[in-house]
Amino acid sequence: MQPILSVHNLNKYYGNQVGCKNMNLTLYPGEVVGVVGESGSGKTTFINSISGNLIPDSGKILIETGNETIDFLEISESLKRLLIRTELAFVHQNPRDGLRLDVSAGGNISERLMSIGQRNYGNIRQTIFKWLDKVEIDKSRVDDFPRTFSGGMLQRLQIAKNLVTSPKIIFMDEPTGGLDVSVQAKILDLLRKLVRELNLSVVIVSHDLAVIRLLADKIIVMKNGEAVESGLCDQVLDDPQHSYTQLLVSSVLQV
Amino acid sequence: MNNVLKFKNKKNTVAAQDEIYNFAYLDENTKRMIRRALIKALCIPGYQVPFSSREMPMPYGWGTGGVQVTSSCLTTDDVIKVIDQGADDTTNAVSIRNFFKKTANIETTEKTSQASIIQTRHRIPEEKLKEKQILVYQVPIPEPLAFLEPRYQETKKMHALSEYGIMHVKLYEDITKNGHIETAYAYPVKTNERYIMDPSPIPKFDNPKMNNNPAIQLFGAGREQRIYAIPPYTEVTSLDFEDYPFDPSKAPHKCSICGSNESFLDEIITDDDGNRSFICSDTNYCNQRMENN
Repeated sequence: MQPILSVHNLNKYYGNQVGCKNMNLTLYPGEVVGVVGESGSGKTTFINSISGNLIPDSGKILIETGNETIDFLEISESLKRLLIRTELAFVHQNPRDGLRLDVSAGGNISERLMSIGQRNYGNIRQTIFKWLDKVEIDKSRVDDFPRTFSGGMLQRLQIAKNLVTSPKIIFMDEPTGGLDVSVQAKILDLLRKLVRELNLSVVIVSHDLAVIRLLADKIIVMKNGEAVESGLCDQVLDDPQHSYTQLLVSSVLQV
Repeated sequence: MNNVLKFKNKKNTVAAQDEIYNFAYLDENTKRMIRRALIKALCIPGYQVPFSSREMPMPYGWGTGGVQVTSSCLTTDDVIKVIDQGADDTTNAVSIRNFFKKTANIETTEKTSQASIIQTRHRIPEEKLKEKQILVYQVPIPEPLAFLEPRYQETKKMHALSEYGIMHVKLYEDITKNGHIETAYAYPVKTNERYIMDPSPIPKFDNPKMNNNPAIQLFGAGREQRIYAIPPYTEVTSLDFEDYPFDPSKAPHKCSICGSNESFLDEIITDDDGNRSFICSDTNYCNQRMENN
């Protein structure tokens, strides 16, 4: 099997400062890769660089679309933006960054559908309802504005908005950050369900080891812009080799 | 300026064309710059060409863009007609007509068929336009995506890459809220199967008239410094959904003056009891019908 996304020797600097350095990643279809590390370790820089939000300084990003391998950093901007709205999806930590707040919930979900050329209101409406159902938002809220939604609902709406065109690769930057624990659990539950059901390939960034342990198959531990350890999730978390990973694992609060 | 004007007028007998001004007010270099923008606009139908809009002797929002375009197109042989919401006799129309009479000394008319240049605010004349006529629109906001995407850089990219999904989000929201597409004016169109364009705030009733029109259609936005155009016989389609097709719609009434069933109507409240009547918004069309009957 070919990896759907592979990143080789990716570097991103902010002036003299390291954003992330020598990063590698291989993502197979249906796999979830978690990226963990403390604040400022370069997690977000990394995920932004591989998802098209930032332009990395050097490295290679290859995306397998099924019939061809695309060099993500070499393609034209129009193709890149087309990929971003069809094959890729990005779930922001703050759902307000990924949603249009002055457009109804249904309108938010419909945007990607219409941008790939769907022009039948009835069908679009059907798809919206299907997705509201999937992310467990009550159908009666379809015409309400996102600003009337709670934090957890907003995040679920953002997930629906991103998944509606069945993207191949989903990037998530702290999808449960800023939510209270019970809502976090619900979102994680939902994500786990969707990952299984739809066979999604996901790169997820989090500082929360529990989130990564629950969702991820493989893990990359970052510190000061570099990957210090990577491997199978259970293996790395149960038997951490690098001193930083050991510190990270041992500092998780046991309740 | 006013003092100079008075002084000049006192000294000489009032000349037919006020000699203080260059022909049609704008200086020749400015006209050349605008003509270049116009040619580019005609080559890329619906594409907004930036131009360095001049300060005009009227406030923004009163047709400074349209006046600059008209001024750059005028020749001494032209016959100009100016309409405001279809009417020849409203303040905006009268003052712009007088402006060109004074600065260019050209013939003016109220008859659509006799005009070679028609400057319009928010209507297309009912009478069919012909080849060799120019229709100049006054445009307040040229960017159809402006209300959905406030970043100008981003809208430019969206046009360049034909990323127009968001335009349908607006129509989607309309249907969701009202059960039909509520947008009644400035209804977005696609020009020559490529650029999405704001037709200026004409009623959507007029949208079909833009399609395959033999006349040249020029759009000038003075404050926003943009010019765009539709060359003759160009395909212009109004955006819609398969199951909610575009409907030009019209008030279900007759003109109470000329009795026309086909023209776009203005609703007029006639007394304090809320009685109302409907009359043609295109005054010339209405008058012609009355004369012919």
